[in-house]
Amino acid sequence: MNRDAGDPKRNDAAAEHRPASARLETTIGEVLRFGTITSSTMFAIGLLMTIMKYQTAVAGLLLNGGLIILLATPPARVIVSVVEYIRERDWAFVALTLVVLLALGGSVVAAYF
Amino acid sequence: MRRKLLFRGDAGEGITAGLSQPPNTGSIGTLLTATLAFVIFSAGAVAGGLGVALGLGGGIFLVPFLTLVLGFPLKSAAAISLATVIATSSAVTAQRAGSQLVNLRFGMLLEVATTAGSLLGGITAQFVAESVLQRLFGIVAIAVAAVMLGRINRRNVIRDATIDPGRLGGRFYEEESGGVVTYRVKRLPLALGASFIAGNVSSLLGIGGGIIKVPVLNAWCGMPLRAAAATSALMIGVTATGGAIIYYGRGDLQPLLAAPAVLGVQAGSLVGARLAYGASVKWLKLLMAALLVIVAVLMFLRSTP
Repeated sequence: MNRDAGDPKRNDAAAEHRPASARLETTIGEVLRFGTITSSTMFAIGLLMTIMKYQTAVAGLLLNGGLIILLATPPARVIVSVVEYIRERDWAFVALTLVVLLALGGSVVAAYF
Repeated sequence: MRRKLLFRGDAGEGITAGLSQPPNTGSIGTLLTATLAFVIFSAGAVAGGLGVALGLGGGIFLVPFLTLVLGFPLKSAAAISLATVIATSSAVTAQRAGSQLVNLRFGMLLEVATTAGSLLGGITAQFVAESVLQRLFGIVAIAVAAVMLGRINRRNVIRDATIDPGRLGGRFYEEESGGVVTYRVKRLPLALGASFIAGNVSSLLGIGGGIIKVPVLNAWCGMPLRAAAATSALMIGVTATGGAIIYYGRGDLQPLLAAPAVLGVQAGSLVGARLAYGASVKWLKLLMAALLVIVAVLMFLRSTP
C-alpha cells in the first residue's frame, strides 16, 4: 500500500486530463531523444577513433560536434516550450520561459564575449 | 564574476594520476587511454542510474570522484560533471516523456527561481566562503535525510482522478493503485526558495541541484517522489547548461573527457530505469536518505583543506 509508482508506458488515462501539456511533453521528449541519440552516437564514434588513433582530426570534429549538440539540447527544449505556450496563449508561462531562455543566452555571451 | 566563482578553490591544481598531462593543454590522442575512458564511463553510468531513479545529475558525486580519485583540476572536473548532468537530464526526460510524471509547468516556474539563483551566485560567493557553504550544505543534507526517513511511509498522492490538481499539481498513472492519482503542490514559496538555493550553489559546488530540490519537493511541497524526481531530472539540464557553455567557450570542457562520461550516462540510465521502475518508493526514499548522508560526509571532507 505504501508504494508510490508510475508505469511510464501506461498513462493514457492521465493524458486525457491535460491534452496541451501532454502534447508539449511528447514534443520535448522527441527533442531530447534526438539530441541524446545524435550526441551519443558522435561521441561513441569519435571516442573509438581516438582510442584507435584513426583519423584523429575527424574524431576531434565528431567529439566537438557531439558536445555542441549536447549543450544545445536543453536550450532547444526551452525554445519548444516557449512556442507551445505561445500557441496556448499562456502569456505568464511565455514570460517565465523567456526569462530562462534569456539567462541561457547570457551564458553564451559570458562565454564568448 | 561567474568565472571567479566557478574557479574558486583551484589552488591544489595538478594531475596526479591517469593523465600524462593536464586536460587543458593535452592534444587529443596522447591524452586519453582506454582505461581512463572506461573509469570515466563507469562514473557516468552511476550518475545516469541515480538520475533515472531519483532525478539527480550525479554532479555532487562526480566532482569529488574526479578531483580526489583521478586527480583532475577542479574546473576540469566541474566541467565534465556539468556535461554529465546535461546528458542525464536529456536521457532521463526522453525516457520519461509521455508518463505525465514530469510536471512541465511547475518545473518551468521553479526553473526561473533556479536561474535567478545562479545569476546571483557571484554575490553569495562574495559573502560566504566555500568551506562554510560546504559545511552548511552538509548539515542541511543530514537534516533533510532525517526528515525523509521520518516520512518514509507518508504518501503525497490522492487516489482520485477527479480531484482538481490546481494550477501546478498533476496526475499520473500509478501501477499499485491501478489508476490515475492526483497530487497538489503545497508551500510554493519553499519550493521556489529551494530552487533558488539549488541554482545559487550549483556553480560553486559543481552540481545540477537535484539533491536539494527532490527531497524538499517530496517532503514539504506535496510532490510524490517519482514526480519530483522526473521534474528535477528535466530541470537540472537547463541549470547545468549555463555553466557548461561558459566552460566550453573558455576551452575548459574537453570533449574527449566528456564523451565517455556521457556514454556512461546513457548506459546507466537504461539499467537504472529497469531497477527504479520496479523498486518501491520506500526503497527509493531510503536510497535518497543514504545518498544525502554520503553527500554530507563528502562536503565535510571537502570543507577541510
